[in-house]
Amino acid sequence: MAALTHRRIGGHPWPAFLGFGVAIAGLATMVVSLFFPAAGLFPEPWPVEPLAYIGIAGVVVGLAMAAGTYLAAGESRRHSHGFQRMDDWSRLTEQQFETFQHDLGRPMRRILGKCREVRGVLASTGEDVSIVVHELLNEIEEQAPSFRLMMANMQVMINLETPDAPAECYPVEPTAVVSRIVERYTGQAVEQGKDIVWWSEPEEFGLVYSDAAALEHIIANLVDNALRYGGEYIEISAKRGGERFQIDVTDNGPGIPAHYRNHLFTRGWTPEMGRSQEKTSSGLGLYISRTLAHRYGGELSVTSVVAPESNHNATFTLTLPVGAPDA
Amino acid sequence: MPSRSGNILVVDDEATSAIVRAVCRRLEDEGWSTRVVSKEEYGSADDMLWAALAEIEESLPDGVILDVRLGEYRDDHFKGLDLLKRIVAERPHLPVLMFTQYSQGVERDTVARSALQVEAPVEFIDKLASPEEVALRIRRLVGAEPKTIAIGSRISLDANAGAVLIRDAAGRQVPVHDVRGRRFQILSELAQAWYRSPGNVVPFDRLERHLEGDDARASLRVRIREIKVAMGRALGQPLGANDFIVSVRDRGYRLLPPRE
Repeated sequence: MAALTHRRIGGHPWPAFLGFGVAIAGLATMVVSLFFPAAGLFPEPWPVEPLAYIGIAGVVVGLAMAAGTYLAAGESRRHSHGFQRMDDWSRLTEQQFETFQHDLGRPMRRILGKCREVRGVLASTGEDVSIVVHELLNEIEEQAPSFRLMMANMQVMINLETPDAPAECYPVEPTAVVSRIVERYTGQAVEQGKDIVWWSEPEEFGLVYSDAAALEHIIANLVDNALRYGGEYIEISAKRGGERFQIDVTDNGPGIPAHYRNHLFTRGWTPEMGRSQEKTSSGLGLYISRTLAHRYGGELSVTSVVAPESNHNATFTLTLPVGAPDA
Repeated sequence: MPSRSGNILVVDDEATSAIVRAVCRRLEDEGWSTRVVSKEEYGSADDMLWAALAEIEESLPDGVILDVRLGEYRDDHFKGLDLLKRIVAERPHLPVLMFTQYSQGVERDTVARSALQVEAPVEFIDKLASPEEVALRIRRLVGAEPKTIAIGSRISLDANAGAVLIRDAAGRQVPVHDVRGRRFQILSELAQAWYRSPGNVVPFDRLERHLEGDDARASLRVRIREIKVAMGRALGQPLGANDFIVSVRDRGYRLLPPRE
C-alpha cells in the first residue's frame, strides 16, 4: 500500500499540479478579459484587453511547468529502473558466478587432492621416482594459486561493477595481511627458486581502517605479478606515516619500460599485446587493484629502473588512508 | 621432525577427501596432532556442529580448522558460520581457520567477519590452499612459541636445552657447540620470526638487544658471522652471504632455511 501511494505521488508530482493551476488561472483571466471588455480596466489604445496577455502568459508558463515536471519525473523513473535492472543483473551474475565457481572449484580440488595424495604416497613409501614426476606434480600444484587469483579477480570485478557497492572499512592489521600473502606464495616462490622477504616500519605497525580482503586482493595481485614477470627477489614493505600507510612490492627483475608503464593499469592490457603475441593473462589484475585502491580512498602506482641499469627493479606502491576514507 | 605438540580440531564434511587428508598429514608432519569431526562419522551437519562443540569442550584444542559448508543441502551451506559464531561466543580466544569452499572475493570475508562483532582470532583460507600454506597459517594463528623449531630436515633449535642440533648422516642429533649463549639467542630470535612468518626480516635493534658494547651493530655482524661459520662446519658446507642468515640492507637479518 505504501509503495502504491508512493508510486501515485511519484506519478503526479506537486509542481505539475501547480503548473496546471497557473495555466487554468491564466485561461480564466484571458476569457474574462476578452469576453467582458466592458469590465475592462484598460481601455484604448490597447487592441486586446491587456489582462488577456497575462492570462496567455499564465497558460503557457503553467503548461510548461506541468510538462517539465512530468518529463523530469519520467526521466528519473527510467533512471532508477535502469539502476534497479542493473542491480538485479549484478546480483544474478554474482549468484551464477558463485555456482560456476563452486562447480569449477570441485574438479580443481579433486585434481589437487590427487596430486597431493601422490606426493604423500611417494613420501611415505620413499619410492625413488624420476625427477620428471616431481616436476609434473609441481606444475599441477603451481596452477592452484593462479586459479584462485583468477576466480577472485572475476568475483571482485563483478562486485566492482555493482552500482553503489559500499566500501566498508573496519580495523585491519596490514602486517597480518602481508603475512598471509607471504604464506600463500612462499611455496610457489621456493619451487621457482625465488625469495619473498617482508618487513614493516614501525615493527609494531598497529591497526588501520580498511578492508582486509581488498588489501589482500591488491597485494596478492602485485606479488603474483612479481613472481610471474619479476626477478628472483621480491620484497614487500609496509610503512606507516601520518594520515596514510604504504605497501611497496619490489622485485629485482629487468624492470618495466616507460611505454609499458603507461598501459599497465588499463583494463585487459597485457605485455603481449604490444608484441602482437597471444595473451597469457586476463590483464585484469592491475586494473582491478587500482580500482579497488581508489574505492578505498587510495592510489596504486608504479616506478621502475630498467635493465641494463645495474639496480634494475620494479616497485608497485599502494597508499591508503589510515582512517576510513569518509571519516 | 616434529617441531611442537598441539591439537588441531578439523571439522569438515569432506574430511576423507584427499585435500583434507593432505592438510592433516602436513600438520602431523609438523608435530601437531589432529582430530577430525567428519560427516562420515556424524551424518548430518547439525550433528557435526554439536559434536564439534562437545569436542572443543572436552579436548581443548589449540586451534580449529572449520569448513564454511558442512553439507550439500542449502541449509548446510553456511552451517560452518553458525558453528563459528558459537565457538567465538563460547571461546573467544580459540583460533579458528575457516576453510572456504572456493576462491573468495572481497565481500564474503568482510561480511562474515563483521557478523562476528568481536576481534576473534578467526581467519579465512581458500580450500585450494596448499598444505604448506595451511600449516603456516595455523602456526601464526595459534601463535604459541614452540620449544623446538625444525629448520629444514637437518637443523633444529631446542629452546629448553638452549642448543642447536644437527642431524648427521647416521640420523643422530648432534649439538653444535659453538652456537650457545648469545649466539643461540640471536639464532633463536631469527628462527622464531621465520617460524611465525617466513621471509620476515628481524630488525637490527631487536637482535642487538642480545648484545652489549658501544658498537652493537658491529658486534652483531661478528656474532652472525660466527654463527654461520659454526653452522657451515656442522652441516659440512660453507655458508655464503646469501645462505642461512641473510642481511637485508639497512633493515635487519632473516633466516633462510638451507635448500634441500
